Amino acid sequence: MFGRLFAMTAAMPSPAPASTAPTAAAGAVSASKIYGTGDSQVKALDDVTVAFETGKFTAIMGPSGSGKSTLLHCLAGLDTLTSGATYIGDKYLAKLSDKELTELRRTDVGFVFQAFNLIPTLTAEENIKLPMMLGGETGDAAWIDQVVTAVKLEGRLKHRPSELSGGQQQRVAVARALASQPKIIFADEPTGNLDSETGAEILDFMRRAVREFGQTIVMVTHDPSAASYADRVVFVGDGKIVGELNNPTADQVIDQMKQHGS
Amino acid sequence: MSFSSTALLARKSIRARLGRTIAIALMMTAGVSFVVGSFVLADSLRATFTGLFDELVSEVDLEVRATEAFDGDGSRDPIDATIADDLRGIDGIEIIEPSLTRFAQLLDQDGDIVATTGGPALGFSYIGEGGLQGVTLKDGRAPSGAGEVVVDKASADRVGYSVGDTVGYLTDTGTHSATLVGTIGAADSDGFLGASVVAVDIPTAIEKFGSGGKVDAIDIRLADGADAAVVQAAIENLIPARNEVVTGEVLSAEGQSDVDGFISVFGTGLLIFAFITTFIVAFIINNIFQITIGQRLRELALLRAVGASSKQVRRMIVAEAFVLGLIATGLGILGGIGVSRFIVWAFNQAGAGFPDTSTILEPRTFVAAAAVGIGVTMLSVFVPARRAATIPPVAAMRPELGFDALKKQQLIIGAAVTAVGTLLLVVGLFVQPGAAALWATVAGIGALALFLGVASVSSTIAPPVTRAIGWPIAKLFKVPGVLARDNVVRAPRRTSSSASALMIGVALVSASAVFASSLRATITDVLDNAITADYIVTDPNFFGLSPTVAEGLDTLEELDAVTPVRQASAQVDGETISIGAINPDAFDKLVDPDLQKGAIAGLGLNEVLIHTDPANDLDKQVGDTIDVLWQSGSAGTLTVAGVYGNATFGNWLISLDTLNAVSDAPARDLFIIAKLADGVTAAEGNAAVAAATAEFPQADVQTNAEFRKSQEDQINQLLLTITILLLMSIIIAVLGIAITLALGVFERTREIGLLRAVGMNRRQLRRSVRWEAVIVSSFGAMVGIVLGTFLGVIAALAVPDDIISKLAFNPVIIVVVMVFAVLAGLAASLYPSFKASNMDVLEAIATE
Repeated sequence: MFGRLFAMTAAMPSPAPASTAPTAAAGAVSASKIYGTGDSQVKALDDVTVAFETGKFTAIMGPSGSGKSTLLHCLAGLDTLTSGATYIGDKYLAKLSDKELTELRRTDVGFVFQAFNLIPTLTAEENIKLPMMLGGETGDAAWIDQVVTAVKLEGRLKHRPSELSGGQQQRVAVARALASQPKIIFADEPTGNLDSETGAEILDFMRRAVREFGQTIVMVTHDPSAASYADRVVFVGDGKIVGELNNPTADQVIDQMKQHGS
Repeated sequence: MSFSSTALLARKSIRARLGRTIAIALMMTAGVSFVVGSFVLADSLRATFTGLFDELVSEVDLEVRATEAFDGDGSRDPIDATIADDLRGIDGIEIIEPSLTRFAQLLDQDGDIVATTGGPALGFSYIGEGGLQGVTLKDGRAPSGAGEVVVDKASADRVGYSVGDTVGYLTDTGTHSATLVGTIGAADSDGFLGASVVAVDIPTAIEKFGSGGKVDAIDIRLADGADAAVVQAAIENLIPARNEVVTGEVLSAEGQSDVDGFISVFGTGLLIFAFITTFIVAFIINNIFQITIGQRLRELALLRAVGASSKQVRRMIVAEAFVLGLIATGLGILGGIGVSRFIVWAFNQAGAGFPDTSTILEPRTFVAAAAVGIGVTMLSVFVPARRAATIPPVAAMRPELGFDALKKQQLIIGAAVTAVGTLLLVVGLFVQPGAAALWATVAGIGALALFLGVASVSSTIAPPVTRAIGWPIAKLFKVPGVLARDNVVRAPRRTSSSASALMIGVALVSASAVFASSLRATITDVLDNAITADYIVTDPNFFGLSPTVAEGLDTLEELDAVTPVRQASAQVDGETISIGAINPDAFDKLVDPDLQKGAIAGLGLNEVLIHTDPANDLDKQVGDTIDVLWQSGSAGTLTVAGVYGNATFGNWLISLDTLNAVSDAPARDLFIIAKLADGVTAAEGNAAVAAATAEFPQADVQTNAEFRKSQEDQINQLLLTITILLLMSIIIAVLGIAITLALGVFERTREIGLLRAVGMNRRQLRRSVRWEAVIVSSFGAMVGIVLGTFLGVIAALAVPDDIISKLAFNPVIIVVVMVFAVLAGLAASLYPSFKASNMDVLEAIATE
C-alpha cells in the first residue's frame, strides 16, 4: 500500500517532466488503468510513458481493445488513471480539482469525437462558441470567423445539428475545438463515421491547423489512411506502446500494423 | 457571466422539448390551481361573510348578554327582558333594543306550512327602522302589538302575501295569526340566506315565542358624544350577576372568529386535496426528469467534456425546472380563480346559498402559488439535477460508464423511510401529542414519508410482481405480450416511479373505502344491536328541532317510548365535554348502551351515566361524584348512576331535567327517537307520526330502515365526493404513465425499428405498448390497494369507538379500482402506441 503510494509520488517529477522532450504539450508517465476487480480485471493501460510535442499532429493507432481510447481519455482528463500520471503543459491532471479540470477542459483542451459531438438543441454557431460561453467569454471574433471560413461553414451557422450532414457536423466539431485556441486538441476517431472523401477533407483541415496555425493535435484512429495525415504515429497494443513512425505514409502504417499482429 | 450560458442552454432545451415542457407545466398548473383555488375561495368567502356580519353589528355600540364560562356546543343563556327598563336611567344611551330569535314557522293562506329554501324557520323581535339588527324594512311599517307581524320579503313574494293580509304562524306556544303590516330583509337583500322569518314587536315576541320573560341580548347605541367606557361601566354596575356588557368590536371579533372557524375547515379540506395533487405531480416531474436525464446522458457528458462545470450542468436542469414552475404558477393563478368560482357555483347548484362573492387575491395566495409552482417543481428535480451533475465527461464517448452515476442502491433508504413514516403516522393518530394541528401534521408527514418509502421500495418488488402480472399477458399475446412484460420488468425503477403516481391516488381511494365501509358497518351494527327505535326524527339543517315536536310525539298512543336527544357542554377538570340530555325512562326502552353497572331508567336530577372510557380516565364508579362547570358559568356536582360501554350516544348522558335546571338556553333537540307500542302496526304508527309532525317541515321522520338507508347514502356520498376530489390526481397520474411510456418508446426507437424490420407489424407493436401500460398501471393499483387498505385500517382504528367500532372491507371497490387501473393503462397507452407504430422503420434503425 505504502509502496504503491511511494511509487506514484516517485512517478511524478516536478515541476516539468525531465525525462520527456521539453517541447511536450501533453504526455503520460508510467500510466496504468485497470478496469474491474479479480478475475474480470482488465489492464487497459500498462505502464505507458509517452509525450506529444507542441505543434505536431500525432496519431495513436491500435486495434479495438488496445487501450488507445483509454489513453486518450486519460490524457485529456476525461478519465482517471489507476496509477501513474498524465499532464497537459505544466499541469499534472491528478493534482487538479474537479473545478480546475473543468477550467482546463474549457480553455486548454479541445475535443473532436467520433459521433455525438454537438449539443442537439444549439445551433452550429452556438456549438462552436459553447466552451467560451461556458466560461463567460465571447472569444476572439476575428479568429472564430477565420476558423468558420476555413471549415466552410459560413452559410450553416444558424442550423441545428439535425439539419447538417455528418461531414458538416464534424466540421462544426473541429471548428469548436479550434475556436478557443486551446493548447491541445484531442480527436477520438473523428472520421470514423464519415465516407472517405468527407473524412479526407476533415483530416486535411486538421493537418492545415497544425501546419498553418501551429495547433497541437492528438488523434486516435484505427484507419491507416487517416493516420498517414499525422506527423507521427504511436502504435498501442495490449495497453502498451509497441512502436512509432515519423512522417508516415499509409502503406508504412499498414506494414507496421501487420508487424504488431492486427 | 457563465449564468447566461446556463440560461441559454436551459432555454434551448425547453424549446427543443416543447411538447414535454407543456405537458409537465400543465400538470403542475393543475396542482397550483387547486392550491390557489383553495386560498381564493377561503379569502373571498371570509371577506363576504365578514362584511355581512360587520354590517349586522355595525350599529351596535354595546351589548348586554349572559356570560359564558367557555365556548361550548350549547347556545348562550337568555337574560331577563326587564334589564332593558333598568338601562333607561343611564345617560348617553340613544337606543336600547332587546332582541329575541326563536323558532317560528310561517303558514300560507291555507294554513299549511311554508317550506324554506334550505334555511331554518325563524321568529325575530323587530322594533322597526331605528333597530340595530341590520334588518331593512322593505314595505309597509314595523309591527306593533300582538295583532301585527312582518315577514321576510322573499317568503312573502313566494307565498303571495301582501301588506294587509292575515298571516298565520306557528311557534313553540302554538298557532297565531296577525295582520301583515310590512316586509323585511337582511341589509340589501330580500331574505335571510334562505330562512323564512316572522317578526313581531318585543313584547309579542316574548309572549308568543314562549321565552319566559327573557330575551337573547340587549343591544345599545350610544348618543352622540357619549363616552363608551363610562356608559359601559354604568351598565356593569346595574346588571345582575352572570350578565356582561361587551362592545361592538368584541361582537365583531367573535363573529369574525366564528366565520374563520367555518371557512378554515372548508379551506383546509380543499388544501389537503390540493396538496395530494401537488405531491403526485411532483412525483411525475421527478420521474420525467430522471428519465430524460438518462436520455440526455451523452449530451450532458459532452457539455462536461467541452468545459461545463458540474455546477453549470446542475444549474441548467434547475433552470429548466424554474421556467416550468414559472409557467405553472402564472397559469395556476388564473386556473385557481376559475376553480374557486366553480366551487361556489357547484355548491350553490346544490342549494348551499353562498352569497355572491367577489374574488379576493391576497398577497399570500401569490406566495403560495409560487411556492408550489416554482418551489415544488424545483424540489422535484433536486435529485435528478444532482445526479446529472455527477455524470462524468467520459460518458460522452462511453455512455455505459455514465449510467453507473445514475444508479443508486435505494432499498435500505426506502425501507427506512417507510418505517419512519409508519411510526409517525401511528404516533400522530394514536398518541395524539399536543394540539390537533400538531398531531395532524405529524400524521400527515408520516403518511407522506410512507408514500415516498413505499414508492422507493416498490422498485425492488416490481420485477417479481410485474413478471407475475405479465405472465397471463405473455401467454395470451405471445411476442407482443412477452415484449411488454420484459420492458416493464427490465426497468424496475421506472416502472415503480410511474406506477407510484397512480399508487398514491389508488391508495387514498382504497383507504377512504375501508374507512367508509367500517363506518357503515358500525352504523349497521348499532342500528341492529343497540337501538330498538322504530323512528328517528332529525333536522337536516342541524338547526335543531323545537321541543314541541317531541312533546307532540310523546302524546301519541301509538308510540311506546319517545325521547329527544339534546346537547349541552360542560367542563370537567378544565376539559370541555359534550353531554347528551335524554328522557331516561324512554331512552332505556329505546337504546341498549351496553350498561355495565347501575340503571338508566329513573336517572334523576344531577345524576349522570358515563361511558367506560371517561370512567376509567377519571377513576369514577357508580356512586362517585364529579364536579362540572356548565357553559352558563354555574358549577354543579353530578353523581354517577351508571357506567356503559357503547359510545354511540356519546360519553356522558344526563336527564333533560338536569339540563333544564342548569340552562335557560332555548331548547333545541338534536334528534328524537321513538318506538311503536305493542300491537300497533307500522302503517298505523307511520300515519300517526306523520300527522303529529305535519306542522314541522324541518322534522325529517325516518323509520329505522329509512334512517339506515339515509346514513348509508350519506357515507356513499362522502366516498363519492372524496373520489371526485381525488380524480384530478388520478387523471394526472394516468397522464404521467402516458408521458413515461412515450419517453420509453422514444428511447427504444432503434429497438422498435429493429422489431419492425424483422417483421413485427404495427398492430403487434401497438399491442405491446398497450400491455406494457396495463402491467404498469395494474402494478400501481395493486400496491395502492394494499397500502390504502393498511392506511384505512389505521385511520379506522384511530377514530373513537362511538364513530367506528367495526372494521369492514369492500371487495367491490377493489374490483372496480383494478378494472379502472386496466382502463387507465389502456388510455395512457393511446398516444405512445400510436407514436411507436407510426415510426419510420429506416429512420428508427439509423437513430444513434
